[in-house]
Amino acid sequence: MFSALRSRYYSLPSLLKSPPFPDQSWKLALSASLPSFSSSASGDARDISEILSVPEVEKILSDVKADNVIVIPTENHSCWADVTIIATGRSDWHLKNIAQALVYKAKQKQKGAKHLMLPSVQGYDTKWIVIDYGKFVVHALDEKARVYFNLESLWTGEPSSPNDNSDKDLQNAFVKVRPINNSKKKKKPVQVSS
Amino acid sequence: MIQPQTYLNVADNSGARKLMCIRIIGASNRRYAHIGDVIVAVIKEAIPNTPLERSEVIRAVIVRTCKELKRKNGTIIRYDDNAAVVIDQEGNPKGTRVFGAIPRELRQLNFTKIVSLAPEVL
Repeated sequence: MFSALRSRYYSLPSLLKSPPFPDQSWKLALSASLPSFSSSASGDARDISEILSVPEVEKILSDVKADNVIVIPTENHSCWADVTIIATGRSDWHLKNIAQALVYKAKQKQKGAKHLMLPSVQGYDTKWIVIDYGKFVVHALDEKARVYFNLESLWTGEPSSPNDNSDKDLQNAFVKVRPINNSKKKKKPVQVSS
Repeated sequence: MIQPQTYLNVADNSGARKLMCIRIIGASNRRYAHIGDVIVAVIKEAIPNTPLERSEVIRAVIVRTCKELKRKNGTIIRYDDNAAVVIDQEGNPKGTRVFGAIPRELRQLNFTKIVSLAPEVL
């Protein structure tokens, strides 16, 4: 049922442009046209993820010396992004530079074009910058943020370790810590001895 | 339709359990908040031994509402509960995982971080 709904949803991309967010309407249309892409591979010129491909993004990331770049195919996991790329930056400046490099390359690639298609960047000046190309998403994280959010375990389909951790946290949270009643314990040996 | 005094569940593992909306961020005198809106809320109930405490004032993004969400293609999405995700001033989520289904509209509203932490996107 859902697939039927979804196909209907995707078959009407022109209707999906929402008036309250005019500057973002292309993205909605873009996300709507994604499945038709994978199936028919018909070229829609208005797709930012066609301008930059995943290997190119990887090359940019290596050029700006982003550490620990991981590319995770997430087609099966989610219906909203095909590929997730995670990279670590050394400092806030480095993170900003990673984001700027990715935007700059997208700009450079379409010089002279009438409509510049740029990825949406969220969270400038924070520890976690998301560069959203529609089809694939680049996460640039601080080292600490990367450990904290642990996106790899979420997306690589290893729910055991984070689940265990959260379970432990929950268990710790729900366990009522009662002070040990020492008076009785002390009394018992006394009674035994007597 | 979230308004001040509305109680919301928390859809992440930040440590808060129940929120009460006290203000909707946006225009002045705004009445109702819908999915994707940022609200100021008070933590009414929290899991002990977590960084967030009761009666703390935080910001949160609404991710699920009982009031139906209409899409342009005629789909209507309606959830069983009102739920929000705790964020900080910069828009980063406080928790590390989001629970439950989340509408894809959040991505258009620049909350890709929350969407990327969610297990299911409708």
